[in-house]
Amino acid sequence: MTRQLANATLAILLAAGARAAVPPAPAGAPGKHADDSCIGCHAKLDDVRLRKPAELATADIHHAQGISCAGCHGGDPTSGDPTVAMDPRKGFVGKFAPRAIPEMCGSCHSNAAYMLRYAPNIPTDQLSQYRTSKHGLALAKGATDVAVCSSCHGAHGVRPPSDARSPVYPTRVVDTCARCHADVALMNRYGIKGNEVEEYKKSVHYAALTEKNDLSAPTCKSCHGAHGATPPGVDSVANVCGTCHVSQLERFDLSPHKDAFTAMDQPACEACHSNHAIGHPQDSWIGVADKQVCGACHSAGDAGAVAAATISGALSKAAASEAAVRERVGRVKRAGMLMDAADIKLEEAHQSYVMAEVEIHTVTVARVEKQTQAVLAATSAADKDAAAAEAEIRFRRTGLFVSLAVIAVAMVTLALKIRSMER
Amino acid sequence: MRALDKLWQALDERLELDPIVEFVAHKVVPRHRHSWAYYFGGFTMFFFFVQVATGILLLLYYRPTAEAAFESVQFIVTRVPFGWLVRSVHSWSANLMILSAFAHMFSVYFMGSYAKPRELTWWSGFALLGLAMGFGFSGYLLPWNQLSFFATQVGTDMVSKVPFAGAWLLKFLRGGNEVTGATLTRFFGFHVAVLPMLTALLLAGHLAFIQRQGMHVPASLEEEAKKRKPIRFVPNFMLREGVVWLLGLAALAALAAFFPWELGIKADPFSSAPAGIKPEWYFLFMFETLKLLPAHLLGIEGELLGLGAFALGGLVWFLVPVLDRGGRVGRRSRAFLALGWVVLAYIVGFTFASFAGVFK
Repeated sequence: MTRQLANATLAILLAAGARAAVPPAPAGAPGKHADDSCIGCHAKLDDVRLRKPAELATADIHHAQGISCAGCHGGDPTSGDPTVAMDPRKGFVGKFAPRAIPEMCGSCHSNAAYMLRYAPNIPTDQLSQYRTSKHGLALAKGATDVAVCSSCHGAHGVRPPSDARSPVYPTRVVDTCARCHADVALMNRYGIKGNEVEEYKKSVHYAALTEKNDLSAPTCKSCHGAHGATPPGVDSVANVCGTCHVSQLERFDLSPHKDAFTAMDQPACEACHSNHAIGHPQDSWIGVADKQVCGACHSAGDAGAVAAATISGALSKAAASEAAVRERVGRVKRAGMLMDAADIKLEEAHQSYVMAEVEIHTVTVARVEKQTQAVLAATSAADKDAAAAEAEIRFRRTGLFVSLAVIAVAMVTLALKIRSMER
Repeated sequence: MRALDKLWQALDERLELDPIVEFVAHKVVPRHRHSWAYYFGGFTMFFFFVQVATGILLLLYYRPTAEAAFESVQFIVTRVPFGWLVRSVHSWSANLMILSAFAHMFSVYFMGSYAKPRELTWWSGFALLGLAMGFGFSGYLLPWNQLSFFATQVGTDMVSKVPFAGAWLLKFLRGGNEVTGATLTRFFGFHVAVLPMLTALLLAGHLAFIQRQGMHVPASLEEEAKKRKPIRFVPNFMLREGVVWLLGLAALAALAAFFPWELGIKADPFSSAPAGIKPEWYFLFMFETLKLLPAHLLGIEGELLGLGAFALGGLVWFLVPVLDRGGRVGRRSRAFLALGWVVLAYIVGFTFASFAGVFK
């Protein structure tokens, strides 16, 4: 049996022939069971596979809400007699087949009225989304090595996704997906490379998630969907990225690249930024030379290459200006001057610079230059502040030397006076 | 000159100034190999005068509220003409004043000048040093920056350890349970009204005692002092003191110009305490000692025990004129001399070790 199935394992059925394909949908909602013999008995069993579910149950969100084992497995939990408690005639199902799991979970989670009683704020379309996902479609075709609900959420000890210990919590979901998607042999069977997670871990998104602990940073599910997981097609890549990078998408839509990429069947953002190993964009990417992204379509001398060179030049000038003034302001600060006004201007310069980088997506020289001009104007103003502060430092030092000279003269005069008096 | 003479005559007729003139004309300062120690008191007073003058100038722009304090200091140092100089001189002068006061105290101690009949001078000086440290503690918070905010939180928290009255004292100092704008307002009140008033009164007393009793000459230097011609107070000693004061002024100008006092970043009560919070340097020896103490010692809270020990140590130091019986007849005990060196070594050692990062 595959790893996926192992993940989906619930309790091993003691009764023979109980691998029912589909569990009977609960007649109405599963009720709360005050008298529950399942955990009591299973917790005492020697076989760890049978004992583990009982041990995990106490941490399970369902258990905490009063939904006991029978809520999923059926049977009669009020009976202490195993043959009665796990009687298939009473709806008992032991270990679920993978195909049965989405339907079983969906029997409650797709029931909006029922979910209102427990978690009114969570969606109830997981099952319908799952059916459209790559996982769900493959499952429907008979594949048994695809992810079902328990593959990601766990079978027992299910925690809400907001719980940091949940396998689908943002910082853990990547490794949860990796359990299958890093298995090259398994992925190759589905025409997937299997290096996607490894690539993703090189990205700025993963760095934001793990180094800055930014839980809003995109993980696998942010772009591929969670329950409806599927790779975004060429025509939807821009929309996926644009969910967060709204301004860049707006600019891209205005650019001549939009129609050109569509005509060339190029995935919008991915064409320049790649997909999983998305690095921090560098201004040095712009151009048609080796390792520069424009060169993929443009050649030296064409209109695109000329525009790229102009944009690159404007950005470099602005970046150099910002760096130089920042350095000068820093030097003045180290000399003890308060440079808050210059800092604000430098912040404005940086904002304009970021906007220039956003405007690159329009590939319109005038729009980029408008922002780089704003950068130069702000850095020039900050530079004037730095120059004034340097002049002030010189004034203070000159003032100090004049004062010290006056004080020294006064001291000498006093000393001479004392000497003449005491002679 | 005739006008001045007439004015003097008029005043003399009314106030009988002759005895004062007589007193001043005959006032002398003994001359011996440790006469330099006599300048520290006046040097401390010079920095106090600088504090008063620069403090008044800062008052013209400073606003003592949590919302405006930081911005007003920022305004002073960036927009007000020579505001940077006034603020920087105020901060540096405060530190030099305390340094000079410590030097004055230890020189007095080692010369045994605290002994009878000068107990009152010692006690008033002790209280003046306490007030100076109070000035420092209250003034530290006034710019309302991150470091001073959290250092004040730690500092005021110590009074809560005082048995019985701790909770009340903490509330009194902070104006509530936490360091807030209310704390700033009352620290401002202490800094510009209560402490200056007490200092002025005590300083007047301290100076009056010195004038009345004259400078003390240690027994071991009496012979030398008798042999050498004393320095006339007016104008010789005053002019010499003037040279020293000018030296202090030059030091202040250089420090303010080359090392302007930092402002830091505005206090944010909701942020976590920044790393490396430290009080002003003159509290470091106590701060580091308290940090070294274990949480509990002999069944008592370590910090409480430490504060108790400091209180006891302070009391012994205060009562030295009474405890050092030999000092009254010019034969001070070796034990008290040793105590002075131990205390000096402890304060200097811990302060430098703290700056060197030994206690990190």
